[in-house]
Amino acid sequence: MSVKSSDAQEAWEPKILAFCCNWCSYAGADLAGLNRTQQPPNVRIIRVPCSGRVDPQFIMRAFQDGVDGVLVAGCHPGDCHYSTGNFFARRRFLLFQRIFDYIGIDPGRLQNRWISGAEGDKFAATVSKVTEDIRALGPNRKLRDEHE
Amino acid sequence: MSDPSGEMRELAKKLLENGEVDRIIGWEKGNLWYQSPPLFITRAEETDRLVFDDFAINSLVTYLLDERDSGKKTGIFVKGCDSRGLVRILQDKQIARESVYVIGLPCSGKKDPRQALSSGASESSQVPPAAKCEECLYPNPVIYDVIIGEAVEAKAKGDRFAAVKEIEAKTADEKYAYWTSQYSKCLRCLACRNVCPACNCRECAFDISKPRILAKENNLSHNMVYHLTRAFHAAGRCVECGECERVCPMGIPIMQLNKKIIKEINDLFGPYEAGVKLDETPPPLGTYQTSDPEEFM
Amino acid sequence: MQGIAKQDLNKVLETLSGGGAALLVPMEIDGVTRFARWEQGAKTALGAGNTLLPPKEALFPQNEKVFNYEMSNEEAKIVPSAAAAEETIILGIRPCDVRAIQALDNVFLTKDYVDELYKTRRRHTLLIALGCTQPAPTCFCSSVGGDPLQAEGADIMLWDLGETYGLEALSDKGKDLLKKIDKFMSKSRGKKPAAGKFSLEVDSRGIAEKLHNMFEDPIWDRWYQKCLGCGICTFICPTCHCFDMQEKHTGQWDGYRYRCWDSCMFQEYSLMAGGHNPRPTKKERLRNRFLHKLCFFQERYGMLLCTGCGRCVRECPVGMDITKFIKEVSEVSLNE
Repeated sequence: MSVKSSDAQEAWEPKILAFCCNWCSYAGADLAGLNRTQQPPNVRIIRVPCSGRVDPQFIMRAFQDGVDGVLVAGCHPGDCHYSTGNFFARRRFLLFQRIFDYIGIDPGRLQNRWISGAEGDKFAATVSKVTEDIRALGPNRKLRDEHE
Repeated sequence: MSDPSGEMRELAKKLLENGEVDRIIGWEKGNLWYQSPPLFITRAEETDRLVFDDFAINSLVTYLLDERDSGKKTGIFVKGCDSRGLVRILQDKQIARESVYVIGLPCSGKKDPRQALSSGASESSQVPPAAKCEECLYPNPVIYDVIIGEAVEAKAKGDRFAAVKEIEAKTADEKYAYWTSQYSKCLRCLACRNVCPACNCRECAFDISKPRILAKENNLSHNMVYHLTRAFHAAGRCVECGECERVCPMGIPIMQLNKKIIKEINDLFGPYEAGVKLDETPPPLGTYQTSDPEEFM
Repeated sequence: MQGIAKQDLNKVLETLSGGGAALLVPMEIDGVTRFARWEQGAKTALGAGNTLLPPKEALFPQNEKVFNYEMSNEEAKIVPSAAAAEETIILGIRPCDVRAIQALDNVFLTKDYVDELYKTRRRHTLLIALGCTQPAPTCFCSSVGGDPLQAEGADIMLWDLGETYGLEALSDKGKDLLKKIDKFMSKSRGKKPAAGKFSLEVDSRGIAEKLHNMFEDPIWDRWYQKCLGCGICTFICPTCHCFDMQEKHTGQWDGYRYRCWDSCMFQEYSLMAGGHNPRPTKKERLRNRFLHKLCFFQERYGMLLCTGCGRCVRECPVGMDITKFIKEVSEVSLNE
């Protein structure tokens, strides 16, 4: 898939992709829903087994295909279902954000948060915050795979 | 530096004659005066072709990957930078230490054939040192079975991250404009990948067609993903041999991204130099500390 | 001989591009010399010898859409692409690259196969060649049947005569174009220059016949090892024309098929659907490339697929030198 270069931008709404780990953040999202917590509808969730599963290529593909921001959410350090997956993820994304910055893409477009299964409110608040941040940054065209 | 060719030939001859190795990889003189391409020999009488002159710039260690399953023993010549590449391949367990006989050659810097041609020089003394040698930190091999020649002192150099800092100082849009002007040139010939000692996967993600991870369409977006993915895959594993940038026909400053990654890894996770010690802990992205910087709370 | 003063070059370029034609001239862009569209104020790199990238992308782009497809109401609709029929003038193309275009013409326009996209582009393209008075150290066109000063197949021939460019129309299209720049032309005192000395020379006569019997020769074992298996030589070659067909989905139900340059040096190039690869190692792949250049193409079209431009000799990071290969082949004795 790729993005049509002439896509109308007038009624732009941030399009955000969230990778949520199955054991914590996805459960957190679920809890936010159960509690009927208000949150913006701009985030689409992909459930992954662990934040350590998220390959930087997934993130780049998302930007290629037209998202304006990406959120990677996982268990708090020390709480990983697989013991250490999020520690590896932490190193990976600390570095990857800095690479994004280096090539000229605002690092705010790639956010990472630790959200446990009990933190429904934190999930909703994170989604609101990320959406606000991305809205402030405006539509992203960098890295996009466009076609006529 | 005295010419070590004589000793190299003698040693190579001995190794082949007494069957210690099945083949030797070194350099020979090419058709043109500024070329000293890789040479593969299996017979003692061919060892006279070996040279080690200003243009023996190629790293030979990635060729070991071609024979990783053959069970053959290879005698290989390595400069300082090449030896770090060899450590990389050994640490990644692509070949066994016993399958190579490593002949170290201290190196005071080589010259780039393309630069020889573009500078219009007619002999080696007129060609400037290769860009990749300017920031060399390891002129002496870090791993070898035998070494030929005297150790060379690493020249006092400027800041090896100077170019990186220059880019860091730009605004986001300036950075993006800079990188897009570079990446839009990319032909995706994959030379940077093929020459890289850190790119030693048996099957590269970019070669997989089902599903196709990287589209074959050459456009800026795919080119950027190619370069970022490759740099990230080599993150913490890049040995700074600079071969990727040297082989690039389009002059893409590939090392400026690799160096940025090295700089950030040093800052975030503590100083680290890849491919220097054979028996060290995993590279930075293959491990973690519970005390790593926390920015995601 | 007719000539134009070098100081008038910009005005000539302006006139040539004035009629709405795309005028492609050698330029240096981000450190790469290539043929790019000239616009007022652009700096040409006419004197810089052969460009790093050959002009083949003007006729055979690296990516080219072949057709669009879309599904609607359970019906598939396919809309073939039409090649841009823009008038194009390639100025400053060297005789080796003109010969390369003749090779591409053979591939895309003859033997009962006509590629419409290529044909349209080619028909609207006019070639103004620039003769080479001083061959680069990596040039060897004269060793493979070329002439550095004369480009058969070009529409207009230019020669650098110092203060002026001498020129001569070689085709009717060329004559018509010269009328447009009539006012800049004067009688030039210069004569067609003599060619400089080549530093790379090799005798390639009979190479195709000889290689025909050398498929299993041990020479390949000596040559393939240092190959990196990258695609530099094929992508910067003015005659390499292999391509792949791929699809891109632009939505759930639509997309397009495109063709893009491919390289026979890649492992995936000859990989078959079932996983079998008839050219499993670099040896078979290198053999195929050299045989295609020096044997198969000669047998099929009567010309070598190497025009001696020297780009691969110059750019190959491991110094793979096709002239050295030709020489070694000529030294092989075949005992039948």
